[in-house]
Amino acid sequence: MSESRDNIASEAAPEEINASCRWPVMFLFFSAALWLVKAAIIGVMGSAKLHVPEFLSDISFLTYGHLQANAWVAFLFGFGGNAGLGLTLWMLSRLRGAPLARPGFVIAGTVLWNVGVTAALVGITLGDQNGVAGLELPVYAGRVLLIGQAFIAFSAILTYFSRRHKQLYPSTWYLIGALVALPWIVGTAHWLLAAAPVRGAAQIPVGHWATTSLLQVWLGCLGLAAVLYFTPKIIGRELFSRQWAAFGFWMLLLLGGWVNLNSGSPLPVWQIKLSQFANGLFIFVVIAVGWNLRQTARGVPLLGSENLTLKFMGFALGAWVVSGLFTFCNVFPEWNAILQFTYANTALRHLFAWGFFAMAMLGGIYYVAPRLLGADLDWPCGRTVRWVYRLIAVGVIIITLAGVGMAWDHGQALQQIGVDAMTLQTKAIKPMRIAFLGEILFTVSSFIFLGSLLCLLSRNCCGELSPMALWRQIREAKMEGKTEGGAQ
Amino acid sequence: MNKAPWVFLGVLFTLSLSWWGMVYGPASQLAGQSADKGDGTAVLPRVGLAKQGEQVYRENGCYYCHTRTATGGEFGYELRLSQLGGDREITDEVLGKKVTAENTRLINLAFEFKYVVAAKKALDDASKALTDAKEKVQELKDAVVVAKENLSDKTASFKKVKADVTENITAQDKKDTILFEAYGLSGVEIKDKALMIELGMGEQIIDEHRKIANEAIIKLTDGKAQWSDIEDMVRGLKTRAGAQFKLQPVVIDWPDVQNGVALRQSVTRDFMHDTYAMPGVMRLGPNLANAGGTPALADSNQFYVHLYQPRLINEESAMPPYRYLFRKVKLNAGESVPDNALKHADLEEDYAIIPTEKAEALFEFLKSLRTDALPEAPIVENQKPADDQ
Repeated sequence: MSESRDNIASEAAPEEINASCRWPVMFLFFSAALWLVKAAIIGVMGSAKLHVPEFLSDISFLTYGHLQANAWVAFLFGFGGNAGLGLTLWMLSRLRGAPLARPGFVIAGTVLWNVGVTAALVGITLGDQNGVAGLELPVYAGRVLLIGQAFIAFSAILTYFSRRHKQLYPSTWYLIGALVALPWIVGTAHWLLAAAPVRGAAQIPVGHWATTSLLQVWLGCLGLAAVLYFTPKIIGRELFSRQWAAFGFWMLLLLGGWVNLNSGSPLPVWQIKLSQFANGLFIFVVIAVGWNLRQTARGVPLLGSENLTLKFMGFALGAWVVSGLFTFCNVFPEWNAILQFTYANTALRHLFAWGFFAMAMLGGIYYVAPRLLGADLDWPCGRTVRWVYRLIAVGVIIITLAGVGMAWDHGQALQQIGVDAMTLQTKAIKPMRIAFLGEILFTVSSFIFLGSLLCLLSRNCCGELSPMALWRQIREAKMEGKTEGGAQ
Repeated sequence: MNKAPWVFLGVLFTLSLSWWGMVYGPASQLAGQSADKGDGTAVLPRVGLAKQGEQVYRENGCYYCHTRTATGGEFGYELRLSQLGGDREITDEVLGKKVTAENTRLINLAFEFKYVVAAKKALDDASKALTDAKEKVQELKDAVVVAKENLSDKTASFKKVKADVTENITAQDKKDTILFEAYGLSGVEIKDKALMIELGMGEQIIDEHRKIANEAIIKLTDGKAQWSDIEDMVRGLKTRAGAQFKLQPVVIDWPDVQNGVALRQSVTRDFMHDTYAMPGVMRLGPNLANAGGTPALADSNQFYVHLYQPRLINEESAMPPYRYLFRKVKLNAGESVPDNALKHADLEEDYAIIPTEKAEALFEFLKSLRTDALPEAPIVENQKPADDQ
């Protein structure tokens, strides 16, 4: 009787779970890698315009604004969506101890999702963006994305309920949070900013809520779910405290949509003050998550570890903490007043997107992808993947230091009286020109990652029929032929 | 935290809090915002080319490099008294000891104007009553005599105060300035030529003197006063003394205003008619909050040349050229350049560069961006140099 009430089915073997996830999740991962390359290339093209204003200037759809919007949409929905949903499905399956349910829905959802992202990029290129920097989804693209996510979420929900488990690991909370947050945020942005836009002035707070929530809540939940899952798993310890994890989780959801509103925004004062208050409270999120993971990994140097996934997670955690501290700094209006119209906001977005989120996702994919394709597999040319980590880490550090340090100089010049326009322009562009180096490193790293993934797939995707195995067989046959010929 | 439905509901509830505050709250507050400025005019929506230009601005992603947001700053109030009320005692009580000696003398003279005009009106009323009277004639005659004596006294008093105020001034124009400033501050109107001559105003008020009277003000504060410093005085002037005054915000430390970026802070009503609000990301290029009010847009040719090839205007400009917003037309031999073609010495000869409708729309949109006064965001004045004050 008791057993039937608890209904705890036996846990599926990891191999069975990996096999169920293999094609849908690999499809998501591969799409993510492709979008990461596109996002990085488009970003570099945009930044190149700051060095050479004439670059591609006669093509109306390749303006700096178009390229910036496309680069971010490709990263956020292309890479972030695919990688985040892929890891969500795998982690949910593993945490529930159940194979992925209805993988066909995931594949259909992934196709739709990628169609949606492609439509968004085409739409932005044609000038259909909604003008909300950071969330410029054309109306038709938003609909396709929502339907695609619904397909994938359907599979995730069935997977979740296919087996009861006595305790939910904290990563599961974050994954549920991300699954709920995405349609809510994209839906709100779709209806209130694109399909039936609210009155002009009201679009500013709505747009801010949507862009900030996507970053802090959606990407934040996905990234932290991965960090909370992989870090204790790899070092072989229990998470230090569920209470700290719960506190950090609810505070993140509570504050994520409020923070980082510019003090000079043309909005009612109460909103700006509330945002400043939320920025102040955000320090508790940083402490709760950071302290919990620090205690969990006490004595283990994450960044100095030999395990690459642990390195990725360590850097991701560090970047998230630094980003959180910058968010906290916005509690001081004087600080925000200096940086609000400078490159600093973009640089800090790079810190969050590449330093935290991409690192967490790439670390997760690095761990998961070989396991999906077969037991005891490892990355071919494993050392090259280390360069992905190194290049992104260096790129993030360059962009953050240049972005915040030099942007501070620009911000101070904006606050002075009588600084001429050319001096202001020089100070504004200087951090962006340095950050260009970081973007080049991102591009190289994204190519390496895509190449590594292709290599992994081609080597292991079909057992003895994989392209690499076939090539190896042909090569061996040739060598044997030569040897036999020589012997004769 | 071990049941997904509870976590799901918790997530919904927690997210709804920020949604409520940042989406629903502002959307409902700003949806009901009125376009009425309160002075019979309204914040008007863009129409025609300017409206199309908003779409060109969005399509090209101009908001990545230009903001349309002028920030706030530190300011003080200059309390400008433009007309005195009727009661001297209450006025003195409200103003207290914050008025300078020079302004006190001006106020004294302004009140003397009021007394003279009141006495003149009393005399006129008494004379009219006598003319119309059929009985009690003697009694009314006595009243007229009293009124005449009173007017005479007031006129003498006026002359004494006037002499006192202009005691150390030799230049006649300065004396006239003080006289007509006091006249303007008094709020009275004198039409009797004899009285005007008597008071030293001349037979007729010339335009220059009328202008002085109309623009006369007394600065009760120096532009650094905070609201808490002057709150009692402002309320007293309005509700008790019946005076007319203006509260003029004056910059103390306000970079956007001092640098000429805008005339005031940007507010929600600046975006109320926008199809897509685009406050902007960075100030890589100039802030456009008051683009329509700047000299840069006064000359359309200058703007178009800048848009076509920014480096023709400024060799170090980092702005990319927007040549695709122009048509390049080969001119045949002897063909004259169209009127709307760009004019610049360094443009290619034998070609006419003509703005497309999109370029014209963008120009009109930028011209429509202005930081004109709104009740919730009055224009802020820069501090005048000390020698101008």
